[in-house]
Amino acid sequence: MATDRLDALRGPVPPRPHDARAIAALAANPGCARRAVLDAAGIDKDSTARHLGFPAPFGQSRFAITRGDVFEAQVKANGCAGLLRLLREVLGLPIPLVAYHDAADVGAHLRHAHTRALIDRAARDSDDAGTFYDHPLLSLEIAGHTSYLEPDVVAFRLGGRFHIVEIKSFAVIDGQAEPAKVAAAARQAAVYVLALRRLVEELGHDPGRVSHEVILVCPENFANRPVATLVDVRRQLAVLRRQLARMTGVGDLVSGLPSGLTFDLAADADGVPTRPVAELAEAIGTVAARYAPECRSTCDMCLFCRDEARDEGSTDLLGRHVRDELGGVAGVDEALALAEGTRGPADGQEEIARLLRLADRLRAESLEPAR
Amino acid sequence: MAFTLMLEIRGTQGRHAEAPATLPAVSDPLDALERRIGELRGEVRRAVKARQSTLARSLRGELRKAELAWDDAVSAEHGDAPEPAGTPSLLPVREQVHQALALLGVPTAARLVVAVHEAFFAGGLSAGRLTSLRRDEERSFRTAPFSRPYYLCAALTDRLSPARGLLAVSTWPLEQRIVGPLSHRVDFLVSASRIAEHLGRLTRAGEDAPPGALRLLSRMAQNIPGAVERFGGAEPQTVIRAAAAELTVHLEADTAGRAGTAERAARQLGDVEQLFGAATLSHAQRGA
Amino acid sequence: MSALTALARLRAVREGRAQPAATVRHCHIAEAPMVFIPLRMAGEAAAPLAAMIGTDPGSPRLLVVPQPRDRDLRFAFAAELAEVLLPYVEGFAKETETATRRGAEPYERCLSAPQVLVPNGQAAAFTGLLGRSTRFRRAEGPYPVHPSVPVLGRWLTFFAERAAYPGSSLLVSATDALALHWTSGQSGLEDANLAALLGWIDPPPGLTGLRAAQEAEDPLLWPPAGPATDPGFDNEVLAPAIEGYTRAPTARAVERVREAVRTQLEPTWRLVWRAAELLRGLPAGASVTRRWEYDRGAFTEFLGRVAEGGPPQARRDGAVAAASRLARMERARVSFDVQRAYDDPLIMAEYRLTGEAFAGEVIAADPEHTEGEGRSRKLRPLVTIRTVDPVRLAAGTAVGTPDRRGQEAELVATDGGEITLKITKGMGRGKTPSPGAVPAVGERVCYTSLTDDFQASASLPDPDLTPWTHGGPPEEWVPDDADAAEHWE
Repeated sequence: MATDRLDALRGPVPPRPHDARAIAALAANPGCARRAVLDAAGIDKDSTARHLGFPAPFGQSRFAITRGDVFEAQVKANGCAGLLRLLREVLGLPIPLVAYHDAADVGAHLRHAHTRALIDRAARDSDDAGTFYDHPLLSLEIAGHTSYLEPDVVAFRLGGRFHIVEIKSFAVIDGQAEPAKVAAAARQAAVYVLALRRLVEELGHDPGRVSHEVILVCPENFANRPVATLVDVRRQLAVLRRQLARMTGVGDLVSGLPSGLTFDLAADADGVPTRPVAELAEAIGTVAARYAPECRSTCDMCLFCRDEARDEGSTDLLGRHVRDELGGVAGVDEALALAEGTRGPADGQEEIARLLRLADRLRAESLEPAR
Repeated sequence: MAFTLMLEIRGTQGRHAEAPATLPAVSDPLDALERRIGELRGEVRRAVKARQSTLARSLRGELRKAELAWDDAVSAEHGDAPEPAGTPSLLPVREQVHQALALLGVPTAARLVVAVHEAFFAGGLSAGRLTSLRRDEERSFRTAPFSRPYYLCAALTDRLSPARGLLAVSTWPLEQRIVGPLSHRVDFLVSASRIAEHLGRLTRAGEDAPPGALRLLSRMAQNIPGAVERFGGAEPQTVIRAAAAELTVHLEADTAGRAGTAERAARQLGDVEQLFGAATLSHAQRGA
Repeated sequence: MSALTALARLRAVREGRAQPAATVRHCHIAEAPMVFIPLRMAGEAAAPLAAMIGTDPGSPRLLVVPQPRDRDLRFAFAAELAEVLLPYVEGFAKETETATRRGAEPYERCLSAPQVLVPNGQAAAFTGLLGRSTRFRRAEGPYPVHPSVPVLGRWLTFFAERAAYPGSSLLVSATDALALHWTSGQSGLEDANLAALLGWIDPPPGLTGLRAAQEAEDPLLWPPAGPATDPGFDNEVLAPAIEGYTRAPTARAVERVREAVRTQLEPTWRLVWRAAELLRGLPAGASVTRRWEYDRGAFTEFLGRVAEGGPPQARRDGAVAAASRLARMERARVSFDVQRAYDDPLIMAEYRLTGEAFAGEVIAADPEHTEGEGRSRKLRPLVTIRTVDPVRLAAGTAVGTPDRRGQEAELVATDGGEITLKITKGMGRGKTPSPGAVPAVGERVCYTSLTDDFQASASLPDPDLTPWTHGGPPEEWVPDDADAAEHWE
């Protein structure tokens, strides 16, 4: 039922799989119904935004991509020799534990099954277990669709637990890295931890054997030499679980939508969208968005939603701080009218209206001498 | 006043990019080319942004032409000619790879093959040229088996499938081409020793140790316990000793595992499969 | 963020133009600041790609690393940067004055100090990273660099650390400084884009601020102000140019990279100068000179430390140093906030909003009121003010006023909108107050409980207790060979 509705919203194209970054971003704006519905339906938000005339302001420099690839390859080279050194130095991994398994040593279509078998064997039989599982392929159900996820490495045998290893090329300088980047890495790693826990549980083992501490590997200072740090992702896991549970409840959101509603781009034989833009924009507008300036770093639809917020004169445009200060007054004009006294406060707005009136008077008084 | 001047510049900035045609014509061909290049770059980026890949490709083509024309025009003005790039080795790629593998004696990833060749031989190999090597060798072997003195072939996993990304030599004994779970570590330690030994041979023969080779050894030694001082370079004898010390921990189990797998491979696989690995489906079950 | 700034943002949206956030300027802007716009190679922590730098808007110097992954080229860039920056910095050492302060030896202080102007906060942070990656280098030993490189590193580190110090103007980020003085009609996140913020503040003729800000978001029209470059530029323009250099490192290959980065830097160069001009257009706040004096003191101290060949700044503060640094920063923050409020009625309005300050008209005054008897009899003039501000100050609270700095008063009683104060300090020592010391009936006045020792903390600290931000490290850091040999790959 809900799945049928979601399929209808998407149109006759396969659902777009989510990668870990996309799943992590789901947790970024939990209040946004538009994003919840588009993601649950597996809609290609990038193409949708592009067709609407608001391509996402993202892009990655090939220098950054190359740098990331080179660093990861370096850490993983020679059976994860670099990673092995880190685990020995930082986490006291005993010398005999070096066994390396490559989950990609099978055909691509078998990689997920092979990962399962390897993880099962490890969880069952510690003597035969490996220390590194390279190129694992995990899966996670999101609102009825399976997304496949590729963590960098899974490490086992640190205290009998599995650890997700996340290799990132941003630098740790004198023990400090950019907090935003660490946070993004932690959110992404939490997705892998969750997927691996679900797998371990399915196989009949204790999901607690997957550690909530992930091993973040980054270059140290200005050299390429890697350094490892343990990052606790319990909080990210909790947020993620909550958001995924919400997505399963997306049925409620969808059932309220008009029947016949679709976000289908109506692509022609060459994959070029033919859906009239105004019509698509109207359809998307049926599902309420909750725009925040932070969307700009996490959602393909951000510029479309920003434009919409602007047209509606929404105070969301100005950021959550402003909105909080305005005590939830949603419209720019409304808030200004309250401040300037051209409009009386509605029920429950008395306090904020008083504050805005005061602010208006103080601004006027303070600017007077300057004029 | 500077104030209004700045405003002027700010105000016209956007127009430059949007309406270049309104600019006055300039007689200098370099200026004209530069403007053309600027326009084309803008158009390419717009096309890329709009995902118009065909358009972007053709625009890129035009852009390269314009840039070459600019290069020629500017060098005509300054009179400097381009220098040729580094001279490539005269040996075919497969022989260069074989040189490196022969030195290392264990299945090796393309990256390290390239690094070893760079360190001890002519260099100039690029990992990109190695990607299709194994497939070409397999094709050649299938067409005329054993007609070459050696083939660059696969290493086999304990599932008898080809191990990802590793290159080996067909003349090596089968168990040398098997990679079990411990073999990655064992082979890494062996390669480090081999590189150290080769460096030792060179210096004993009175040759200078190639600095690239010392750097490579130092990098590898970082990952072997006791092989290197924290900020010093690697010393070959120390590396050999440290690698040997760790090898004793893994060697027995690894050798036994390899021998078992090799025996199975010899029993179950035909010639082609023994060299290039079995398809994953038919031998997916371990120990089958 | 307060209801006042929220209101200013709303109004900016409606008017299509930024609204004032200050009535005076709260930072020092030098006559000829050193504008510095660094670009970084994407994906690298501290690999400089290029920089545009100079003190003359008409003749910027462009420094370029044609292959940012090449270590030698990076150090060549650092040496070139030193060639521009160090003479500028050292030029301020020539003229000094003798500064005195209570209870301490007089000392020499430079008459002026260098000011580095960068486009945004990330550029300030990148300046710190460049400093970090160069200050431990050595001119001799296993990885020698040009002798100017480690000196440059010390200075870049100094500037970046001062930038984190509230109220300091030695390194100024244009977006931060602009946002301190104007409120745009977009979010704070979007204000980090210099072109967009300036679009709101100073839109070109015929454009609204919104339209100008929208144009400013197109990297083809307005390249990002750095240090990060536009990915489209990287992929389509820069990468082929750098590849060209790698294939054949000729003069013209270098020229091609130069021309490519020049297109990305020139628009920002003009914007930063425009930002300086807009800021200069505001009258300076009363405390700007004093804070700049403090900056000059910090600069002079550090100059001395570099001249003596002192060690580079430590990688990390020890626990004690970190704690005292935090305390100092907090004090500076408070002090900066209070000074701005005293200098600027629009900032003071924030405190009137929260009831920590009030303004109104004097409705009664008793200038010769006294307290006590006989020899302990003291002059305590009384003043009653009528205000409509929501005052939240209790009787007994000490208050001060921007109208008569140095005067102290105490709140005696509040009765609805009528507040009575007694003046306790700064009205003269005689039996009657000095002329003008007590506000007269009908005068408009403003009082606030923000009086914390800002006068005391604004004066220079005892040299023996000199904070290391002023060059006096509590413990000598001795860098070893490992520091000098650290890789910069």
